[in-house]
Amino acid sequence: MIIEPSYILQLTVSGFLMGGVYSLIALGLSLIFGVMKVINFAHGAMLVWGMYISLTIMRLTGIDPFFSFVASAAGLFIIGYFIQRIVVNRIMTFHESMQVIAMVGVMMILENMAQIIWGPDPHSPHTKYSLSTVWLGGVMIDVPRLLAFWIAILIATLVFLFLKYTDLGKSIRASADNRTGALLVGTDVNKVYSACFGIGAACVGVAGALLVPLIPTSPHVGFPFKLTSFCIVILGGMGSLPGAMIGGLMIGVAESLGTIFIPSSLKQVISFSIMVLILLLRPRGLFGGKGS
Amino acid sequence: MKKKMNRRTFLKYSVAMGATTTIAGFPAILRSQPKEILIGSVQPVTGPLADIGIACRRGNQMAVDEINAKGGIKSMGGAKLRLLLGDSEAKEEVGRSEAERLIKDGAVCIVGPFMSGIAMAIATLCEARGIPFVIDIAAADAITQRGYKYTFRCFSTVSTFMSNMGEYIAQIVKEKGVTIKRIGVTNTGDLFGRVQGKAWIDYIKAKKLPFEADVVEHIEYPVGVADLSAEVAKVKVAKPDILCPVTRPGDAKILVRELFKQRVELLGIVSPGAPGLYEPEFIRDMGKLADFVLNNVPWVNPRSPKFREINERFAKLYPGKYVDTNSGYAYLGVMVIADALDRAKSTKPEDLLEALRKTNYKENPMVGGAVQFAANGDNLNASSAMIQILKGEIKVVLPKVAAEAEYVFPTPQLWER
Repeated sequence: MIIEPSYILQLTVSGFLMGGVYSLIALGLSLIFGVMKVINFAHGAMLVWGMYISLTIMRLTGIDPFFSFVASAAGLFIIGYFIQRIVVNRIMTFHESMQVIAMVGVMMILENMAQIIWGPDPHSPHTKYSLSTVWLGGVMIDVPRLLAFWIAILIATLVFLFLKYTDLGKSIRASADNRTGALLVGTDVNKVYSACFGIGAACVGVAGALLVPLIPTSPHVGFPFKLTSFCIVILGGMGSLPGAMIGGLMIGVAESLGTIFIPSSLKQVISFSIMVLILLLRPRGLFGGKGS
Repeated sequence: MKKKMNRRTFLKYSVAMGATTTIAGFPAILRSQPKEILIGSVQPVTGPLADIGIACRRGNQMAVDEINAKGGIKSMGGAKLRLLLGDSEAKEEVGRSEAERLIKDGAVCIVGPFMSGIAMAIATLCEARGIPFVIDIAAADAITQRGYKYTFRCFSTVSTFMSNMGEYIAQIVKEKGVTIKRIGVTNTGDLFGRVQGKAWIDYIKAKKLPFEADVVEHIEYPVGVADLSAEVAKVKVAKPDILCPVTRPGDAKILVRELFKQRVELLGIVSPGAPGLYEPEFIRDMGKLADFVLNNVPWVNPRSPKFREINERFAKLYPGKYVDTNSGYAYLGVMVIADALDRAKSTKPEDLLEALRKTNYKENPMVGGAVQFAANGDNLNASSAMIQILKGEIKVVLPKVAAEAEYVFPTPQLWER
C-alpha cells in the first residue's frame, strides 16, 4: 500500500482538531467524576442539549453557534445544577451500580425529551462557514473544526484558571482531594458539588454548540461521544483535567490515523484498545495522581 | 368551613374524575363500534434512525386512518383497524421483543420494520407464533430464503436493486459517452448497509457491467458515525470516477459535506439504493450540495393517481414532508394487509395467510406493478427507479417510462455550484 504523506498529514490534522472537542467533552466528565466520584452517564445526552440550544438560537435569531455557545453553556449549567440537586446529591453515597441506574435514567429522560421537543430528524443547518476550508499545500483545514478547536482550548483554559484562582474553584479542588477535610474547614460541600456539576455540564454544553456546524444534530447523536470520552478519561487518569485534555487530543489523532490500518467500522476498537492497554499497564492513567 | 386543597385531596379528586370519565366513556365506544382488528407496527422510532422510523409509522397510520375513514373492513361488518405501536430503537433484540409484545396484545399481523436485521428476527418469531408478517421495508434477500410461510415482503430485494442499478449505470454510460472505470463504495455497518454494499461490489467484480470497471476503495463505517474526515481522505486518495454510497440520514450529510470540503473530484454520486439521500431533511440542510445526487431506490410512482392522493394528504398532515420510499412503502404494507383481511373475512392466521398469498393489490403508489407475492413471500413486481435531485426537487429520471426529467451526468463538482 502506498501512503502519501499529505494523506497522513490530513488525517493527523483532522483528528487533532476533532480531539480538541473530545477534550472539552471529557473535561466535563472528568471534573464531575474527580469531585463527586459519580460517573455521569447522561453526558452524551447533555451534549445533545447543548447542540439543540445552539441550533434553536440559530434558527430563531440567526446567531452562529460559535457565538451562541455561551447560551448553551448557561443552559447546561442550569440543567447540570438541578440534576445534581435533584438526582446526584441523593445517590452520591450509594453503590456505583445503583448510581449507574439513576444516571442512565437521567440520560433517557434528557434524550427522549429532546426527541419530543425537537423531533427525530437530524438537523445540520447551513452556517456561514460550515463549508469553508483553508488549504495548506495538499492538506485541507476545516474552518469550523479549527474554530471549534480554539474555542474548546480557550474554554478549557478558563476552567483551569477558575479552579486554580477563584475561591469556589479552590473549594471544588479541596472537596475533590478530601471531602471530610473540606467539610471540617467549613466548606459548603453541597454548593460546591452543584456548582461543579454545573460547570462540568457547561463544558459539554459548549462542546455541543461547537459540534453543530460539524455533525448533524439529532437526539441520539451523543452516544458515541460519551463512549469516547470514557476512554479519554481513563487514558488521561480518572479525575485528572490535564489528562482529559491531552487524552482527548491523543484519541482524536489515534482514531483518525487508525483508519489507515483497520476498517472504519471498527474505529472504536482503537480507543477501546488504548483504554484496555492503559488499564493493564498503568491503571491510574497517564496523569492520574497517587490519590485518584 | 374553609378547606385548603392539599396534595391528598387533590389526588382524591383526580382519581374520582379519572374514574368517572372512564366509566362514562366506555359504553359509548363499545356500543358504536364493531370488533377492532389490531395490527402491530414495529419501526425504529427512537435511536439513530428515528426520523425514518417516525416517517414509517406515519405511513402505517395513514393507511389505517384511510381504511377506517372509508368504513373499515367491509367483509367483517366494517370492523375498524387499530395500529399497535412498537419501537425497535433500531436494535434487533428490541425489535423482536416489541413484536412479541404486540402479538401478546392481540395483533393479528405484524408490519414493519425498516431494518433487514430486525426483519430477520421478527420473521423467525412470527413463524414460531404462526402470525403473518408483512415487511413494508427491508431488502436483504436472505430474509425470505429460509422457507418461512408467514413472511411477505412488499419491498424490493437487494438483488433487484443491483440488477436495476447495473442497467441504469450502463444506460448512463452509453447515453452520455462517459467512462467509468474506478468505482468507490462506502456503506454503513448495519446488516442492510453491509449486504447492499457487498452486493454492489460483487456485481461489479463479477463483471456484470457491460464496461470495464473496478472497485478502487471500499469503506464501511458504523451507523450514527460522527466524523467521516478520515474516510473521505481515503476515498480521495483512491481517485474514484464515481462514488456509490450506501448511507443512513445522519452520515449522508456528513459524507457529502466532507466530499465538498476535501474537494474530492467525482463524475457523480450514484447510490445503489440507500436512505439518507432523498429525505426532505437532506435537501433542506444541504441546499445546493444535495443537487445532482443520483439514487436507485424503490421510489414513488409520480404518475400514479394513488400517489398524488396520499402525498397531498401526507403533506397536509405533516407540513414540509412528502411521501418518499419510507412513508410510501409503510403505507403500502398496511394497505396490503387490509386488502387481505377484507378477502379473508376473518382474522384467523390461516385465513389471513391464505388471502395474503393470493394478493393482487393494484392501487400501488410506488414504482412497480401490482403487489403479488411469490412462493417465498417476495413481491414479484417490486422495482426501483433512478432518482436525481434537481434544483432541490426529486425527479425520477430512469427508467424512461416513468421519467419526469432528463438527468444530468457527469454532475458539476460540489464546490463549483
